[in-house]
Amino acid sequence: MKRRTLISAALASIALAASATASFAADWPKRPINLVVPYKAGGGTDAYARAISAAAEGILDVPVVVVNKPGSGGLNGANSVVGARPDGYTMMMTSGGSFLLSTMTRDTDIDALDSFEFVAQVGQLQTSLMVPKNSPFQSVQDVIDAAKADPGSLRWAHSGRGGFHHVGGLGFLANNGIEAQDVPFKGGGPTRAALIGEQADFGFLGVQQLAGFEDQLRALAVNSQERDGIMKDVPAFGELGIPFAAVSSPVIVFAPKGTPAEVVAAMEAALEQIAAKPEFAELLASRGTGPVYQNGADAKATLISMKEDATPLIESLTN
Amino acid sequence: MEIFPALLSVITDPILLFAIVLAAAVGMIVGATPGLTASAAIAMLLPITFYMSPLFALAFLYVIGKSGRYGGSIAAILFNTPGTAASAATQIDGYPLARAGKAGKAMKVATISSVIGDLMGDVLLVVGVGFIAAIALKLGPPETFAIYFAAFVVIGSVIGKSIVKGLASALLGILVAMVGLDPISSEERYTFGSFDLSNGIGLVPLMIGVFVLGEVFAQVEERRKATGETKENESSADGNDLTWEEYKPCLPHAVRGGFIGAGIGVLPGLGSAIAAFISYGEGKRRAKNPEQWGKGALEGVAAPEAANNAVSGPSMAPLLTLGIPGSTIGAILLGVFLIHGIQVGPTLFLTDKELVYKLFACGMLGIIAYGLIGYFGATQVAQLILKIPTNVLYPLIFMTAFVAAYSARGSMFDVTVMTCAGFIGWLMRKYDFNIAAFVISFVLAKGAEETFRQSLLMSDAGALIFVERPIALAFLILGAGAIAFRIRGIMKERKLAQGGLGDA
Repeated sequence: MKRRTLISAALASIALAASATASFAADWPKRPINLVVPYKAGGGTDAYARAISAAAEGILDVPVVVVNKPGSGGLNGANSVVGARPDGYTMMMTSGGSFLLSTMTRDTDIDALDSFEFVAQVGQLQTSLMVPKNSPFQSVQDVIDAAKADPGSLRWAHSGRGGFHHVGGLGFLANNGIEAQDVPFKGGGPTRAALIGEQADFGFLGVQQLAGFEDQLRALAVNSQERDGIMKDVPAFGELGIPFAAVSSPVIVFAPKGTPAEVVAAMEAALEQIAAKPEFAELLASRGTGPVYQNGADAKATLISMKEDATPLIESLTN
Repeated sequence: MEIFPALLSVITDPILLFAIVLAAAVGMIVGATPGLTASAAIAMLLPITFYMSPLFALAFLYVIGKSGRYGGSIAAILFNTPGTAASAATQIDGYPLARAGKAGKAMKVATISSVIGDLMGDVLLVVGVGFIAAIALKLGPPETFAIYFAAFVVIGSVIGKSIVKGLASALLGILVAMVGLDPISSEERYTFGSFDLSNGIGLVPLMIGVFVLGEVFAQVEERRKATGETKENESSADGNDLTWEEYKPCLPHAVRGGFIGAGIGVLPGLGSAIAAFISYGEGKRRAKNPEQWGKGALEGVAAPEAANNAVSGPSMAPLLTLGIPGSTIGAILLGVFLIHGIQVGPTLFLTDKELVYKLFACGMLGIIAYGLIGYFGATQVAQLILKIPTNVLYPLIFMTAFVAAYSARGSMFDVTVMTCAGFIGWLMRKYDFNIAAFVISFVLAKGAEETFRQSLLMSDAGALIFVERPIALAFLILGAGAIAFRIRGIMKERKLAQGGLGDA
């Protein structure tokens, strides 16, 4: 009880201090930086944030404090950051693909491309087509053939409608002219378990989810032009010549609109250094993920082109 | 048996032992504080554990989870407010015992039963971890739905005097659970355009509201009516001691509860609150003195307490081998494994076998630690709390409720939810609706709906999927049978009442 109130009091005072005084870009950063993660502690994006926080030591003079604000599929945290004082002491790290898609499907004033400043991308989560180990499908072509032979007979699992795994799967189906019934599960872990238990014929789940489960699952392809940087054994749709929708989830740091350009640039430079640290890669390796750095402008370009790919798929969803 | 060398190595490590005892004490305190849950405490302490060794960090959090679940029973007994969702069933008999001056006795029964249940669960885990994981895999959405269906039947055992009001309370619980995002289509429903509502109604603020605030309101009303004369809680030396003769009838209930809890723990996602209510319902049905249950039967404390703690052990099996967390605590522990570079999955028992068994050993020692602290500390705590006059205690509880509702997620909206739930809880008490049925159906409805609709999506033949799958069919028959049995029982009771007294 005491510990709890103490910590929340400490957090509250940090927040208060961060908002009470005006900040000057020149001497940024002077206080701890709050990095809001709109998901629960222990998840994939959270792991990136914790790794950033750990690896920031020695690069940023102040601690990076990870603040989890889960709820409403990531929009809860985004809502709190969009209204935060743009002084560089409150930023958000989120799964860019999920964030983009949720702003497209949900009724919200937030626009993933316009409501925030893009600071930098530090990681990448990619979805992939997987089947249970005992599945008759040995290749992506087997899946396509089976779906064509008996349209609508296959069932596929994903971690929730409107998420980037779901939209990626829809893109695969639509681009190959096949139909299959989706079965949404709640989150990545349950989806993987359902697929191992053969509750569905195939599934779209994060390629990093294969780590440690190589004897239970077979990843047929990763949903991208080129192979994943960490899970190198999984072929890419691009190299297989199979059409797909370029939907992935870059892990991006956002700052509230109006944050001074110098501050954004300083944080961008710091993130580039952090992402290059071997320590950062080590912390992520056990999860099957790794550092993928892009500067703010490139990260924004990635999301813009993803939006183009996803728009027709989202429209088919809502109709 | 890898567990024995693991136990030995943990016992001979004084720093680790100290961490276990500390975690047991911390867990008890957060568990006993209404609204502070072990999962909130773990989430808070998570960053600290980054700087510890993996075993240290995992053991610390794992033991907090275990003792927090036990600690919930303390608040349930003393204040009629469940410290955790899992202890909501404990208060049904625990609080009447406390009112009758037997708080210490009830807490000792809760402690012993928790230790029995928890140890049973852990033994099952150590012996059958691979087997449990295999079962968990076999259970797809249709099977899980059938289990939810069977679990819904437990509402019948707590439904109380009026069947209509009991069912109405259950329906209200289901309706409230529907607010938020649709589990399948992810579209908003019953949110009336409110962003806050799109996140759904949280279990923690809802429970604090109906149980804690509702109780405070009810007390305030009672006091206004009874001017001058106020009833203080009594406490006597006799009420704090527990003899073997008194515990003896509780033992079969605790053991049965242990089996029920361990069974539920195997199924990821059902959780300890459900185990506690099923065990309570089963216990009441089989009890020699069912008329005492709900009015202060020690057995009514033993049954749910053993069950909710027994969930802890087996739920680690699907977590460790499949990466499916059975609870919030499980989800956080999963994160700790990954943060420390330990890959959870079927290969865990090959790569980090020693660590896993040491963790299990720490868990068992943690159970003993909270058992000892609880057993010998319970009387002192009970006496201390009961010495506080009620007109000081209730305002304190009232304030704690607000702090707890806010701090769980740092959300003012949750405070609003809690306040509304408080008025609803008070009204439900006043007009004899059933709060337990309301909360159980709220807890069960989401999972039941999700698995039901997943099953239909999986099926080529609509609802027939439940018949095609033998395990699902078995649970559906079990549930339907239990309902039929209960209806027969109610009819009999009615006849007896009509024949005996002439007024039903």
